[in-house]
Amino acid sequence: MLPASLVARLRAVVGADGIVDRPEALLVYECDGYTLERAAPEVVVLPRTPAEVSAVLRVLAADHVSFVPRGAGTGLSGGTLPIGAPVMIGTSRLGRIETIDVRNHRIVAQAGVVNQWVTNAVRAHGLCYAPDPSSQPACSIGGNIAENSGGPHTLKYGVTTNHVLGVELALPSGELVTLGGAVEDRPGYDLVGLVVGAEGTFGIVTRATLRLVRVPAAHRTLLAVFDSVDAASEAVSGIIAAGIVPAALEMMDRLIVQAVEAAFKVGLPTDAGAVLLIEIDGPAAGLDAHAARATAVCRTAGVREIRVARDEAERAALWKCRKRAFGAVGRLAPNYCTQDGVVPRTRVPEIVRHIAAVAARHRLRIANVFHAGDGNIHPILLFDERDRDEVARVRAAGREILETCVALGGSLTGEHGIGVEKVAEMPLLFGPDDLVAMTRLRAVFDPEGRANPHKIFPDAKVCVETRVPRRQAAV
Amino acid sequence: MTDWAALVGPTWVASGGAADAVDGVVPARVVRPGSLAEVQTVVRAVAEHRQALVASGRGAHLDMGAPPARLDVLLRLDRLTRVVDHQAADMTVTVEAGCPLAALGAALGSAGQWLSLDPPRPEETTVGGLVAANLSGPLRASQGGVRDLLIGLRVVNADGAVVAGGGRVVKNVAGYDLPKLHVGALGSVGVIVEATFKVRPRPPVEEAVVVACGTAREAAETALVLRDSDAAPLWLQVAGAGGLPEGPGEGAAAVVGLGGIAEEVADARACVERVGASLGLRTLFVTDGAALRARLGAFAVEPAAAVLRAATLPSEVGSVMERLAATARERQTVVRCLADAATGVVRAALTEVLAVGPLVKTVRPDLERHGGTLVVERAVPDAKVGVDVWGDPGPGLRLMRSLKAAFDPGGIFSPGRYVGSL
Ligand SMILES: Cc1cc2nc3c(=O)[nH]c(=O)nc-3n(C[C@H](O)[C@H](O)[C@H](O)COP(=O)(O)OP(=O)(O)OC[C@H]3O[C@@H](n4cnc5c(N)ncnc54)[C@H](O)[C@@H]3O)c2cc1C
Repeated sequence: MLPASLVARLRAVVGADGIVDRPEALLVYECDGYTLERAAPEVVVLPRTPAEVSAVLRVLAADHVSFVPRGAGTGLSGGTLPIGAPVMIGTSRLGRIETIDVRNHRIVAQAGVVNQWVTNAVRAHGLCYAPDPSSQPACSIGGNIAENSGGPHTLKYGVTTNHVLGVELALPSGELVTLGGAVEDRPGYDLVGLVVGAEGTFGIVTRATLRLVRVPAAHRTLLAVFDSVDAASEAVSGIIAAGIVPAALEMMDRLIVQAVEAAFKVGLPTDAGAVLLIEIDGPAAGLDAHAARATAVCRTAGVREIRVARDEAERAALWKCRKRAFGAVGRLAPNYCTQDGVVPRTRVPEIVRHIAAVAARHRLRIANVFHAGDGNIHPILLFDERDRDEVARVRAAGREILETCVALGGSLTGEHGIGVEKVAEMPLLFGPDDLVAMTRLRAVFDPEGRANPHKIFPDAKVCVETRVPRRQAAV
Repeated sequence: MTDWAALVGPTWVASGGAADAVDGVVPARVVRPGSLAEVQTVVRAVAEHRQALVASGRGAHLDMGAPPARLDVLLRLDRLTRVVDHQAADMTVTVEAGCPLAALGAALGSAGQWLSLDPPRPEETTVGGLVAANLSGPLRASQGGVRDLLIGLRVVNADGAVVAGGGRVVKNVAGYDLPKLHVGALGSVGVIVEATFKVRPRPPVEEAVVVACGTAREAAETALVLRDSDAAPLWLQVAGAGGLPEGPGEGAAAVVGLGGIAEEVADARACVERVGASLGLRTLFVTDGAALRARLGAFAVEPAAAVLRAATLPSEVGSVMERLAATARERQTVVRCLADAATGVVRAALTEVLAVGPLVKTVRPDLERHGGTLVVERAVPDAKVGVDVWGDPGPGLRLMRSLKAAFDPGGIFSPGRYVGSL
């Protein structure tokens, strides 16, 4: 239990309305988008300014108290689970867009700004913020930076790290330090590049300078319908191999198509084995030629039908299906969890077949909706959390899929992060020397290990046996 | 004393000479390991004897950074030249640190692909140097820099252990992004032995248009109009008066590279011509865009007493170029400037050694006040005397110091060459 005097000092910094400590109010904070495990913090602190974040951290530093940063809580790897960290620091009140520099394609936003607000703020100028996670109506810039989030259009435009030029970071000591900034090429180590993707273990990002890009002049958005996932995956490999760089190349399998169609009724073919959403963008000239080549590849792979969005409304409808696919999954089962492994793009057909085999072997339903062009799979494992045996099978199946991703030359996670979820799998990918280098790096920013402890690394104290009882798993 | 010949074979050890000097500091030995294991052995030996090494490829970019505080071993990686794995259909390539970019380019070119980074001197620039010195060329405007294309790295650390970061897939957030630690670090935290990159299809057609302008400021303004036009530039440079090395144009100009399939390039060219006409500027079409790009990129390494690199916001490029030129005039000397309009990086070449220090001292404070930076990117040793080549790395310096201490506690990797005398 935190001493009452500490909570009082925190309250003095953020005001009474910035403290959440009633048990029923804390329930909201007991998990993020990863629901397999839950634990509530003792107190949630909601600072309003970067200076308040710094002051809160100074209070915690004085007593050596650990903390967990939290943005919008849409993370899918349990990054906000407060393990060994009684204090959660939420950024929801750090919601200001501070400056917009249209001429230089820059924007400065506080950490709690919602991803979608950034694009909304600059669209009138023909600009946008390229990283577009499907959770963009909710997720925060701070969370995006912590996870180095991606999204459908990152195939062409890159992920968060390619668009963050500077951050202000509140170190666990409370010190606010500005790294990078609006001007590129500052001499010295790329500390900004290291903070992006650090999953909140270096401190709390309070504001960021982001790069904006021009909204493409034109799009060709195609929906290619296939009889099987296999055929669709062959088309994905074929399109990449042909040297076409689509803006997005997304796959949805039958389970997803059916759920999406039931939810949104846009006329998707519910008997299809899989559909591919292919978007090509850029200046108008040449788009038709690229689309024709992609179409030819799909035909070779045995496409059943190709629909082309005729106008912006049709395009928006297709994207709505894709971006809300996760939400639609709620219709299929009470609970789901999503894996986020990556394989070299040419191995997409293999991993998709493997997922089907794993599902059959573990008697599970697994739906697939993913960033096929990047080789970034998102098998959605459906379950009912009241069925303990099914939950155990979900965990085993998830691990098998990740093992296969690594065996195929890939990675454990393409955009959701390690969090608590994949801590045990880290040694599949990295050897002891690699992990030592990472922990050295962490100590540069957080020598006491108080920022989001027990994430990413399989630390000695939290070995597999003791880990589960330490947290209050939902099951 | 280390018996280097026993470690790497007698053929691959030599006494250092004037030609091996790093900023005038001559290494006692030049050692050329032939395998990863030999690199590890050499690093361990250097660490054990508390010596200092500078890692290099073919030595093409050793004139960057501050002079080393100590130098015992010049570690040349030019025997590690293998293209380890080019998966054309995955659009990734893994390559050893000593492989020259020209050779890598040839291997990728046969599949219609390229590593879209175009630093000068591709025959002499190795992959390790590309990463360590964070080199780039005009393509950075649309393709990003090393940090955007590097997806995995293997490094020998100060203990002699091989540390891997990232991987071989294009999207990967497992663990910290360790490769970023080494980009532009000038080998101060480890010896890069292997790198994996994303590669891209090479545009089948590349052309260029020179838009002749009256002043650098006008050229920079024009470039921003082109940046925001449907020309979708592949690259976009601003030349100050006399900045364009040779070829078309003598005065200031915005020079735009156009790439893609034929109809895209034709359309883009028409767009540039429309922009030129609307601004009342003369345009000049260049068929071989890639050749012009290479010439512009070579500006960074052409013979000069020093090449300065000023970084600013794209909107300030013109005024920074004018300030550099005016300051040089006041000091009765000349600079030639070439800038990347998209990134805001301005390069200025100076011919007079004695002009370097005063120019830096005059221009830097003003740039830094506005959030910019000024680095002496390359210089002959004499021009670095008494000059702080890096300038202020900003408030992150304390973290950078502890980072260096964490990864190179004994100070064996390029001591003194990096920012803050790290
Ligand atoms: C329906 C749905 C769709 C999704 N689609 C995508 C997708 O397409 N691509 C993708 O990449 N992800 C996707 N995600 C995952 C998730 O939205 C992203 O990881 C997102 O970036 C998390 O942001 P958040 O604000 O919700 O962060 P949270 O979940 O609150 O936190 C995530 C992590 O970031 C840390 N953190 C948060 N704020 C800060 C800060 N200011 N400073 C330091 N650390 C901080 C937390 O401690 C935690 O470790 C999806 C999630 C859902 C639920």
